[in-house]
Amino acid sequence: MEQRPVRIAVDIGGTFTDLQIFDARQGRVVAWKTPTTPADPSEGLLVGVRESAERFGFALADVGLLLHGTTIATNAVLERKLARGVLLTTAGFEDVLEITRHFRRDLYGLAPDPFPCLIGRNLRFGVPERVRADGSVELPLGDLAPVLEKLKAAKPEAIAIGLLHAYANPAHELALAEAVGAALPGIPISLSSEISPEIREYERLSTTVLNAVLMPVVQNYLARLETRLGEGGFSPRIFLVQSNGGMCSLARAAAQPARLLLSGPSGGALAAERLSRRLARPNLVAVDMGGTSFDVSVVQDHRIGLVTQGEVDRLPVRLPMVEMRTIGAGGGSIAAVDASGRLTAGPRSAGARPGPVCYGRGGTLPTVTDANAVLGRLDPDFFLGGAMALDIGAARHAVAEHVGAPLALNVEAAAEGVLRVTNVQLASAVRLSLFEKGLDPRDFSLLSFGGAGGLHATDVADELGITEVILPREPGTLSAYGILFSELVQDLARSRLLRAEPDALPEIEAAIATLREEAVARLVADGVPEDQRATEISADLRYHGQAFELLVPWPEAPDLPALLARFHETHRARFSYAAEEEKVEIVTLRMSAIGRLPKPAETSGTAADKPATPGSRKVSQGGVAAPWPVWRREALHASDVVQGPAIVEEAFATHVISAGWQARLDPEGALIARRTA
Amino acid sequence: MLGPIEIEVIRNALNAAAAEMDVTVWRTSRSTIVRELLDYSTAVFDAEGWNLAQSARIPGHLNSMSHALREILANFVPSGQWHEGDVVVTNDPYCGGQHLPDIIAYKPVFHEGRRIAFVGTLCHHIDVGGLAAGSYAAKATEIFQEGLRIPPLKILDRGIRNEGVWAMIRQNIRKPDLLLGDLSSQLASLDVGAAALLRLARRFGAEAMIEAGARILDMSEAGMRAAIARMPDGTYEFTDFLDDDGIDLGQPIRLHVAVTIQGDLASVDLSGCSPQVAGPTNATLASTNAAVMFALMCCADSSLHMSAGCYRPITVIAPEGLVVNARHPAPVAHRVAVTHRLLGTMNGALHQAVPELIPAAYYGNSYVTTFQTVAETREVLVEIEIGGSGAHPSKDGVNAYASGMHNNSNIPIEMIEAQLPLTILRYGLREGSGGEGKFRGGLGLAREWRIDSPRCFFTANMDRFDHAPYGLAGGGPAAVGKLVLRRDGVESPIPPKTDNLPLRKGDVVRLETSGGGGFGPAAERPTAAKAHDEEMRYL
Repeated sequence: MEQRPVRIAVDIGGTFTDLQIFDARQGRVVAWKTPTTPADPSEGLLVGVRESAERFGFALADVGLLLHGTTIATNAVLERKLARGVLLTTAGFEDVLEITRHFRRDLYGLAPDPFPCLIGRNLRFGVPERVRADGSVELPLGDLAPVLEKLKAAKPEAIAIGLLHAYANPAHELALAEAVGAALPGIPISLSSEISPEIREYERLSTTVLNAVLMPVVQNYLARLETRLGEGGFSPRIFLVQSNGGMCSLARAAAQPARLLLSGPSGGALAAERLSRRLARPNLVAVDMGGTSFDVSVVQDHRIGLVTQGEVDRLPVRLPMVEMRTIGAGGGSIAAVDASGRLTAGPRSAGARPGPVCYGRGGTLPTVTDANAVLGRLDPDFFLGGAMALDIGAARHAVAEHVGAPLALNVEAAAEGVLRVTNVQLASAVRLSLFEKGLDPRDFSLLSFGGAGGLHATDVADELGITEVILPREPGTLSAYGILFSELVQDLARSRLLRAEPDALPEIEAAIATLREEAVARLVADGVPEDQRATEISADLRYHGQAFELLVPWPEAPDLPALLARFHETHRARFSYAAEEEKVEIVTLRMSAIGRLPKPAETSGTAADKPATPGSRKVSQGGVAAPWPVWRREALHASDVVQGPAIVEEAFATHVISAGWQARLDPEGALIARRTA
Repeated sequence: MLGPIEIEVIRNALNAAAAEMDVTVWRTSRSTIVRELLDYSTAVFDAEGWNLAQSARIPGHLNSMSHALREILANFVPSGQWHEGDVVVTNDPYCGGQHLPDIIAYKPVFHEGRRIAFVGTLCHHIDVGGLAAGSYAAKATEIFQEGLRIPPLKILDRGIRNEGVWAMIRQNIRKPDLLLGDLSSQLASLDVGAAALLRLARRFGAEAMIEAGARILDMSEAGMRAAIARMPDGTYEFTDFLDDDGIDLGQPIRLHVAVTIQGDLASVDLSGCSPQVAGPTNATLASTNAAVMFALMCCADSSLHMSAGCYRPITVIAPEGLVVNARHPAPVAHRVAVTHRLLGTMNGALHQAVPELIPAAYYGNSYVTTFQTVAETREVLVEIEIGGSGAHPSKDGVNAYASGMHNNSNIPIEMIEAQLPLTILRYGLREGSGGEGKFRGGLGLAREWRIDSPRCFFTANMDRFDHAPYGLAGGGPAAVGKLVLRRDGVESPIPPKTDNLPLRKGDVVRLETSGGGGFGPAAERPTAAKAHDEEMRYL
């Protein structure tokens, strides 16, 4: 489908725009980094492409595919730079969006803030109509003139339509959209029956409203991006990364921007999936630790897990997304001792500004990074490849004052305490991610990346009983690497409560046929040739009466016994029991339409041509300061053995190989540490 | 001797165990009340039954579970009679529980031949029998009418199911598949919690686990003492009222607290509360203590680890025979109303001590409605609605916010309509229901149910229909609740404490809930805030 030799993956982060470039002529993957341009990220993107074209010697006209990861939708929500939206909903239910599910998260707090609500009460209008749970119409769509008048007067930039039970019968939403489109031509409309056609009204409304108020924002961005095409012969086909880890076309992204909302961590998870195959490790738990957060995802049998709902800023987004647990623990997490003598690390963070005390940018409260610096685990003169000098004295002072003094510990013991408390939190997050699926950490390797990941990886593995840690090459641009190897994926779903019993089969088969038809139509629209199309079916199942469904793949569809057997087995694995005699319900049928992008044949990583000689630095542990070997990662040779305790440094990351661990370079270029004692 | 860091490691793992138990119940339970309303809690206890770690669920449960376990150990299943594989359950308020729908299950955890901990799970079950579906009867006059009582007994005995007990329960309740399904979820969560603790014990050893537990309790105690010490010494009193008990209509029930702060100790005297009442608006000590403890725990630093150690510097004086310490066989189904009001009364007193912390009254009530639809089958829907939170000294209250003693989610309208012959006609904010003030109280809700089955029996158990949620520092009170029947176009009030009101197809029940009280004089409300209220039609 694409003949031009160069494929580029771009991941635009808050600080840097990361690129990974694959050139089929050499079969080689190279990386590039350029500063992000927050005002218009497409500018930095183009700069990065031009710089890398010059640096790696390809012409802009050689670029056939641009795979684009972006947090533009997420940032727009977090910063509330959103369109003025109006919500049309079933009359009597205008406040559902504001009422939310109304339980609180902070049990003992006395000063709660409301859950965010993106469309105020003055811009939510009721429509006379009523559809029932079985899709039948109780009250036909009534006179729309009054609501259209209100709508016009509201001068909306985006319109969300979400009616009760529209997942079961979208007719009223479609008719309403037509009337609204005629009355206010050119204003983008989002329908709940198209964005999230599943039962539970609040979650569906929330997702639809997010989609609506993002449409103008994302469409503007994509328009700017498109105007940059054509310069210097640069006219690749562009695809965007969705929350489900798959790519979608510009047209799809423009119509359903909510699908981009949780795509930030997708790249890392995709990279984990890719590495799981290249390194022949079917089970990986991938952890990405940066300055403020720690993201955990699980690769099982070479596949990343998906969930059907996530959230952004406490707003539910009910769309398939890469299963990811995020906790607020990172290098910038602040350590403190409270009135009861309890040592905590996070959730408060010093962020990028002022940042850790040792950065010397005005931070005064000790952070996890400061604890690492105090112990000598970070090189004060080679931090960020020498771009920043660390003020160790200031870090020591802060750790001693805020942690050491209240606990009556010396500064090194206090710093080690901060790291231990942090590592336990990281390990708890990993364990909970695995626990939810009934998995045992000991069956997994830990894949660690992100700027701060390598400092904690072997210790976190020890907490979990994991005996192998993988530190991939170029941990700083790993997300872009994952994006480079992704596919086009569109998720379709239909909610209808059905008994998983033979007499429901005709209805199930009809639903699958409809989904498949739509899936194929979408792949055709995206120009995917027939031999590169695939579809995957899954079902959300539960025992009659349960509220939560398990997503069960159904490759054998429509073989019901096979589906039920998988369901019971999954239920037992996750929840320690199965009830095979009980009735099972299908809540939602799902179809993934997959367009396979040709997989570049990537060559292996490169190692240095001769064994390395480590330097050394004094590191404190258990009250003893001893010299630890310090290795340069670029200088490592295949024959080098890094015996812990030791440190491995590279430009944007530092890795600690703890005592009892031994690390070597894998032929793929990953550094692999194993527990030896 | 464990260092402060080891303690932190163990504390973290105990929290994670409670969280894993929580996830297990959430994901496997059957009834709408557990799975959608989230009316359950999970916790970890030391070998003596003191609470060490809690899930983030329902404060009214969490701070009663230690009391119940201690009661069971003292009077029903002595320490030496717990074996590996046992699970003890009870729902009996006169054996340490709160009210009959709440079944609590405890499992001991053994390591190196000694008991190192307990894990516990409490679920509010959809029905345990008795005179009204949902077992939330408003007109019971003795506990025998309120449902099946399960004294503390081993539902699992060394891992073997006590089949007789399961059969006995099944025979006495309205929705056995839902209750027994939820009970299975409880047992699964206990297994998960026990496994998590054993993982920890294998690493640290039994001795260290016990030491860590003791230290965690000591540290919570220190944090709680620090919070109390910040309050000025003195005695602070406050009085509020429940409307009535459903039997002696219009006869208010007095809740009075005298909170004495002396150094880092607090003593709470409830002797001024009304005698116990004939109807089910009574509480036993498990409920009462939970409300008092919760009020004070909320005043501590946000980092305070919530455990039974927090209870130590607090003394509760609650003479037997009062509405806060009812004597057998008083009915107690609506004990939650007593705890909501007691919390509000505590807050009214604490406002005098720490005025910068305490918000005005929230809606102060669990709006419990039960619909038993009768068609070819009988179905039961229990809903617990909420109202607005009280205005805070620095900001408005929150519209529709689960506050205080309970913490429920709502049930999705589409889920209800997909499963029961009921139609929700309206679900919205109730304009004007928040108290006025410099800071406005949050708004309550309005919800309407239409009956689609030939017959339906409706039970309501709610309060704050006469006595409004109070404002503070010059702020106004919130609106009182309203419950109305609309039949053939005619509206008539439904008493807020009603059992088995016969409804028929087409009838509509409308509930309007209270908002929260206001804080500060309304005259001081900023113009911009008033304009926003207008624009949003909150008034």
